[in-house]
Amino acid sequence: MKNIYLVPLILSIFSLAVIAIALQLDTSPEMIVGDSMQARSFPIFLMILKLILIGILTFQFYKNNPKPVALEKYHTWGSMFLFLLFYLLTVYTDMFIGIFVVIFLMSILWGERRVWVAFLTATITPGLVFLLFDYVLKIRFPRGMLMNLYYG
Amino acid sequence: MFEQAISAMASVVVDPYLLGLIFATTILGVIIGVLPGLGATTGAALLLPFTLTMDPVHAIAVLATIYVSATFAGSITAILINTPGTSAAAATTFDGYPLAQKGEAGRALGIAVISSTVGGIFSVLILCFAAPLLARVAYEFRSPEYFALTVFGLSMLASISAGGAVKNLIGGIFGVWLSTIGAERVTGIERFMFGNYELYEGLHFVPIFIGLFAISELLVQSKTVDKIIKTVSMKAVKLPTLEDYKKIWKTILRSCGIGTFIGVLPAEGATVASMIGYSEARRWSKNKKEFGKGSIEGIAGAEAANNAATGGAMVPTMVLGIPGSGTTAIILVGLMVHGLRPGVYLFTEQVEKVYQIFGSMFVANVMFMLMGLYAAKLFARVSLVPTQILWPIVFALSVIGAYAFQGQLLDVWLALIFGVIGFFARRHGFSVAPIAVGLILGEMVETNLQHSLKMFDGAWWMILTQPLALMFLVFAFLGLCGPVIFSWITKQKD
Repeated sequence: MKNIYLVPLILSIFSLAVIAIALQLDTSPEMIVGDSMQARSFPIFLMILKLILIGILTFQFYKNNPKPVALEKYHTWGSMFLFLLFYLLTVYTDMFIGIFVVIFLMSILWGERRVWVAFLTATITPGLVFLLFDYVLKIRFPRGMLMNLYYG
Repeated sequence: MFEQAISAMASVVVDPYLLGLIFATTILGVIIGVLPGLGATTGAALLLPFTLTMDPVHAIAVLATIYVSATFAGSITAILINTPGTSAAAATTFDGYPLAQKGEAGRALGIAVISSTVGGIFSVLILCFAAPLLARVAYEFRSPEYFALTVFGLSMLASISAGGAVKNLIGGIFGVWLSTIGAERVTGIERFMFGNYELYEGLHFVPIFIGLFAISELLVQSKTVDKIIKTVSMKAVKLPTLEDYKKIWKTILRSCGIGTFIGVLPAEGATVASMIGYSEARRWSKNKKEFGKGSIEGIAGAEAANNAATGGAMVPTMVLGIPGSGTTAIILVGLMVHGLRPGVYLFTEQVEKVYQIFGSMFVANVMFMLMGLYAAKLFARVSLVPTQILWPIVFALSVIGAYAFQGQLLDVWLALIFGVIGFFARRHGFSVAPIAVGLILGEMVETNLQHSLKMFDGAWWMILTQPLALMFLVFAFLGLCGPVIFSWITKQKD
């Protein structure tokens, strides 16, 4: 199978999975729903519509034979990996530690050669944003190693 | 009503805090506009969390100012470095950059500034008159009409410039499906929550929009890290001469009309408007050969149209609750978050606030004109901020902004997940704007369909017996099938 058909295939599997899940949803008694529709009906209707469109898209691909998308360089995949790292650092240490590490590593990954510039960006940006949100907008951040020190 | 509107608009000029806010936001909007990749939609998505604690009028004024100023500012980099700061300025590169290469960068920017200002102010004036009139018509709407209108809005996704019609519709349907996550409004049955009760009230727009527009753009920009930017030097921005005005005034007026009309159409926006404005300028020009080589009519046609679309796009957003573009989808969320329910109610109960917002847009247009004329050279330098510094900062603003909306870490994860989804969608030629519009319109479609079915005792075809609903559904059908039918007819004739 050609790579170009991978997108319609994934979209179709997703739509079928949504229909399967929607069919498991509870139904309401007639006296509540009345002449209207059940909670499952609308998502199923949407997915059927989507499957029809996916069919048209596949036909378009078959007729036009589009070029497969070239694979991105390490900057893109590395950035996605940094999102995962941010999740782990936020959950297990502190959101601001996560932001600092991700900004620093992202700057380096994207080609910043001056380590001190990356370090300053990673320190000043979250610092300023924290001050703005905490002092001006009065928003409390999630507890973690740093926030526990700050909030007490 | 008229006096109330005038005094509300005038109150913007005598409110120093609001004036200062518009001034600061215009600077920010121009900076956002000149930074390639950021644009009005991403900028508005990033700024939305910062407006949460503001007064509703101030908050919407900030978002609307970002919209108009960033839409204009895209032309600065389009002319000077051949890189449109926003997609709406893509058509400006066709003639702006060639003119700049001839050593007339200042003249090109002067034409762009004046055309954008005229376009923006024209559309705000149309907005002031058209919105209340449309609101009166909308007063007659009931569920079948609203259902048909939202279907029409979704059908217009097919003609958004990015992506193809089928891909945009798939994106729109995906967005509508996202709106079904959470407890169903009539029966309370939980849908697609998988036991996560933070999703009981559904997905919130703010983190999703930050993900779709800001984080996905970050991943897209990661592909351009190695790109080298060539700049064109410029002495000063020149105002168009009398000769220039004689040459472009008809083009500007035409593009004002085109831009406002395109903006009013649901889901269309400044990008489509500028492309049509440019091609119409070329079609009507006596000097067609100049186009592509530095025609001032080309610059005026594109720039007047894209800024005229900003006011036009606010009409369906504020009157019907149907976003006229990606950025107005975010402004619509801003309205909802601040308790300003779009629709007839806004124009009957909160007229003053509505006209203060319109007044703010008017002032923003004047401010970006001054900045464009006197500081364009300075702002152009901002576009040279290295991507390896800019986008990590955007990441920080995105995650903190997503968290600040409700104080939930789940929103941060949602923003990241939708950022990755948005990136993969864009990678395969799907635009993210239809997903956002679908998400906003989803609830309206389902709720109004349910109400219509109850009204007609389950007989859905009775919706077609309502004249206005039928009209919108016919428009939707034409929007979807019209191009195919017309091309088939043309082929048959040939």
